[in-house]
Amino acid sequence: MSSVADQSQNNNSGVLGPTEQSRRKFMLAAGWGVVGATLAGSTFAAYKYLFPPILYEPPTVFKIGHVTEYGLGVDERWKLKGRFWVVRNMRGIYNMISICRHLGCTPNWFPDQKRFRCPCHGSIYDVHGNVRGGPAPRTLWRGQITKDPVDGALVVNTVIRLDPNPAQTPQGLWVKEKVKEVNPFWIEHVPPSGASCSSNRLLC
Amino acid sequence: MLEKMKEKVVQTQLFKSVFRHGYPDNELNQAYVVFSNIFLHIHPVKVRRTALRMRYTFCLGGITLFLFIMLAVTGIWLMFYYTPYTGLAYKNIKDIQFVIFGGNLMRDLHRFAAHGMVLFVWLHMTRVFLTGAYKAPREFNWVVGVVLLVNTLILSWTGYLLPWDQLAYWAVTVGTKMASYTPFIGQNGPWGAQLGVNPTNDLMFMMIGGTVVGQNALIRFYVLHCVVLPLVVTVFLAVHFWRIRKDGFSGPL
Repeated sequence: MSSVADQSQNNNSGVLGPTEQSRRKFMLAAGWGVVGATLAGSTFAAYKYLFPPILYEPPTVFKIGHVTEYGLGVDERWKLKGRFWVVRNMRGIYNMISICRHLGCTPNWFPDQKRFRCPCHGSIYDVHGNVRGGPAPRTLWRGQITKDPVDGALVVNTVIRLDPNPAQTPQGLWVKEKVKEVNPFWIEHVPPSGASCSSNRLLC
Repeated sequence: MLEKMKEKVVQTQLFKSVFRHGYPDNELNQAYVVFSNIFLHIHPVKVRRTALRMRYTFCLGGITLFLFIMLAVTGIWLMFYYTPYTGLAYKNIKDIQFVIFGGNLMRDLHRFAAHGMVLFVWLHMTRVFLTGAYKAPREFNWVVGVVLLVNTLILSWTGYLLPWDQLAYWAVTVGTKMASYTPFIGQNGPWGAQLGVNPTNDLMFMMIGGTVVGQNALIRFYVLHCVVLPLVVTVFLAVHFWRIRKDGFSGPL
């Protein structure tokens, strides 16, 4: 407040009375309060505007049918649509996300070698997702797999993932199967009839 | 203590480099505040007392400028969610209206400001006409104003198509059909057919990038509406204001 403004609208004494002074202070505070509230409100609204409450993104949850529709070993039928493999072994069924843990490429499954090999930098994984070679620093993710409460079909959620800390072994980075075959990343199921451990050593 | 802090701030090289003059605590620097500020120097150096009267200009041009700035700001906000694709445009508009927080407000502000801008351009020109402010030496600024009016109308019309609803589709279908009746360069216009102008090489085809309003028309109108025309308007606005500053306000002394 300049002294000129004070004097111009004042009584003869040239000094503001205490009532006048406190009123002026209050009006000033109220004015700046309104300005501040408006700025804060519009900043908040602008911030919230940038977070859409609706998304049109590819699905992350897939209903993949019953366990009996899958044979022993790695099944690639969901790789294009959902980017995950379904693996059935002698104890049950699980899925692994088709994302290489090195830099995120999509590895390929080689049935003859019983290995996943990444085309980008040569990471190698076995059927359990353990690292058997290459630069990958972690084992493959396993996605959540549950049973639909209505019809009992399997439901895979590729966002909820299991990622245990692997141990360094002479074979590579390793996580024990009993650590990974846990609820809700694993569905227990009897092996298909006629299958035996002697012919499917890896899946035993 | 605040005084001391202020002193420290206004003495810095940064302050001087931004404002190009000292702190306005003397008359010279107070004059420089308006003189050397791009946002404040819209008024001429000397302004006639009567020209500053509210009832002389009604600030109609200023309101138009305010609406243009508002349209630019809200338009940028809308661009965050709008896709100029026939399969998505209408859905994006619906999302902006019903799902995005504050989206309906942004769209309504954009829409009403657009209507308002057309209205206030006309009112501004009416005022300029009635006060004789188009006469020399301001006749060229009237011409610039007419260019701005036409650009405002084209902006309004191109924005009309973007919601991609029935209203938009038929409005632009009718509008571009009218262009096809242009003499010489329209397929339906006089001497058009005689000159070999047909549906694939006439003015309407150039405007909508096809023979019917479709994806090409949508992207063309989008680019014109969001990039080309606002840039043209901004350039002509700069000339418009520069001329106001050079020619001064009209009206009696």
